[in-house]
Amino acid sequence: MKTSKKIIGTLAIPVIVAAILLILCAASGKSMISSRTSFNYFVLYAAIVMITTMALSINLGSGRFDFSLGAMAVLASVLSAKLSYALLSGGAGSAVLMLCLNIVFGALLGLASGALYVTLRIPPIITSLGVTLIYEGITFTITGGKYVMNEVRNASMTAFAGNWYWPLLIIAVVLALIVYLFDHTRFGYDYKALQSGQKVAVNTGIREVPNAIWCYVICGALMGIVGFLNVARSSNINGGSLNFGSIGIMFTAFLPMFIGGYIGRFSNDKLGYLMAALCMSMLNSTFAAFSNEISASAQSIINAVLLVVFLIYLNNEGLLKKILSPKKA
Amino acid sequence: MDNEAILRKYKRRQRLIDILPVVALAALFAILVATVQSKGYRLDMYLKIVFNEGVVLAVVATGAVFIYTLGSFDISLGASTLFSATLGVMTYNATQSLPLMILVIFGVAVGCSLLSSVLASVFHIPVFVTTVAMMSVLSAIAAQIITTNGGAVGGISIPSALVKPLDNMGFKIAVLAVFWLICFFVFDFTKIGRKQKFLGGNPVCAQLTGIQVNKYAIIAFVMAGIGVGLGAFLTLVYTPSVTATTAGSIGMNIVVAIVFGGMPISGGPRSRIYSALVGGFSYILLNNILKLLIDSNIGYGVSQIVSAVFFLAVVYVTGLNYRSQMLPR
Repeated sequence: MKTSKKIIGTLAIPVIVAAILLILCAASGKSMISSRTSFNYFVLYAAIVMITTMALSINLGSGRFDFSLGAMAVLASVLSAKLSYALLSGGAGSAVLMLCLNIVFGALLGLASGALYVTLRIPPIITSLGVTLIYEGITFTITGGKYVMNEVRNASMTAFAGNWYWPLLIIAVVLALIVYLFDHTRFGYDYKALQSGQKVAVNTGIREVPNAIWCYVICGALMGIVGFLNVARSSNINGGSLNFGSIGIMFTAFLPMFIGGYIGRFSNDKLGYLMAALCMSMLNSTFAAFSNEISASAQSIINAVLLVVFLIYLNNEGLLKKILSPKKA
Repeated sequence: MDNEAILRKYKRRQRLIDILPVVALAALFAILVATVQSKGYRLDMYLKIVFNEGVVLAVVATGAVFIYTLGSFDISLGASTLFSATLGVMTYNATQSLPLMILVIFGVAVGCSLLSSVLASVFHIPVFVTTVAMMSVLSAIAAQIITTNGGAVGGISIPSALVKPLDNMGFKIAVLAVFWLICFFVFDFTKIGRKQKFLGGNPVCAQLTGIQVNKYAIIAFVMAGIGVGLGAFLTLVYTPSVTATTAGSIGMNIVVAIVFGGMPISGGPRSRIYSALVGGFSYILLNNILKLLIDSNIGYGVSQIVSAVFFLAVVYVTGLNYRSQMLPR
């Protein structure tokens, strides 16, 4: 594929989305990003969506559906918020400490989830149902079902949420690390081999168990970061989610995962997730601009319809091309 | 050990595993009775609570078994129950006609199910993603209707006197028994059930023998839709008001109930129609026992953890005979 085609293919969807949304906003006399604060939230939301999408796609790409991603993010945040507050009482450096602890706790929760899966050897979707219930239960027990607020409302967290370059730095570091891990290491080559042919890969000597556990650890660490970013965005943690109330976090990543996968054909799927996250963040900012006209319910409907329409296109691309291409005489 | 001895051992273990969910149900029932009596509470009241919660889950899950047998996964059944009940209430409030309300509930439930199946089969969209989108759309529309017409907290309602004569064990047992017997007949004594099990077990082979996937997928979704309609109606009979959280946890509880009842999540020939009934009531019994034993706010979290551990243990034991060398996906 020519470089120019790669660049156009990678940037086409974000540019088209931006153009449509900017025209919509301009026609209504509104602005998609009206202030520095809204730009901060734009970058923060893009980081949340990109990292959640990556975490979802790592295991889903290998046929392992993981419902526990949301529960992992929330529990990691609660644990790190409590510990960082106990250590620094919300003083200087709280945000950095909480981010580091979130990554560590997230990785440990991912490790526990992966270890359970390889030990019990029951389908990952079932393991993840059990793990979700356990993590939600632990979160509820620690928080008493209440919101965690005092521990996360401090100057350090406000400074983090108020500067777009911190989430941008996180996006850059995570993207570089994930591209390196999955595209340039032996772990990544094994992951791809197992993804495309589990039986053949195992028969050639690839060790599936450590690879699967590492995938869960990486997903956990990524969801730890997402948990931290969510706290920075909302200044609280909902500790009262029970009975699968936490799985909603995961559903935000479906549309960007498919868009990212499509963009990935022209460059790299991880870069595709970033582009898709930018599209979702632009949409989110537009919803915020139209918050008086478009209710939360309408936003959910628009997102779901977009998902279905994009999937209809994606799964019938060949047929559409056949219909739309000029017939040869 | 010769082959015959291995086969005998396998069969003995399989028989034991097959009856395990029923034994677990009987044991949980005995524990509930003992716990209620030891605490000096009214047993009849607790049995009524368990039955009313269990009957809705069992009915919806019994219909859902047809979808799960195909190896598909429908996460939107809870939202579909809410949506059907919402439109049913709106219809009654507009027309004061009970038959019309029932007709709307069933029409909407089957319609939603059919829409999911048509989107999946005609446009080749993965079933799970279709149901994720349906879940978002249905719950958003229902929430919008409820908030607009009755308020987010109070919800919308029908006169309790209208359904009071039906709010008794006899009627509900009759509904459950008739629906279950129909499903049992279709599933175990007609070619529909046999072909669905074949499709779930080996879709490629089943298609090569001439079985039409779309036809049996649509039948499965229609059966699930009827279950949803019955579930929505029974929900209204028990509580004649609908809020945005009504039936919120049913979607995921169905998965837990079916697996709890001894059916593999991958569907296929090991699917059992009784799994939904046994698993649904077992899960509700377990939750109520834990609520009785751990009697505090934090207890909700602890009881969910215990419930999840019990769930994983049951799934682990019932799957003992089906361990493979590779990790399951």
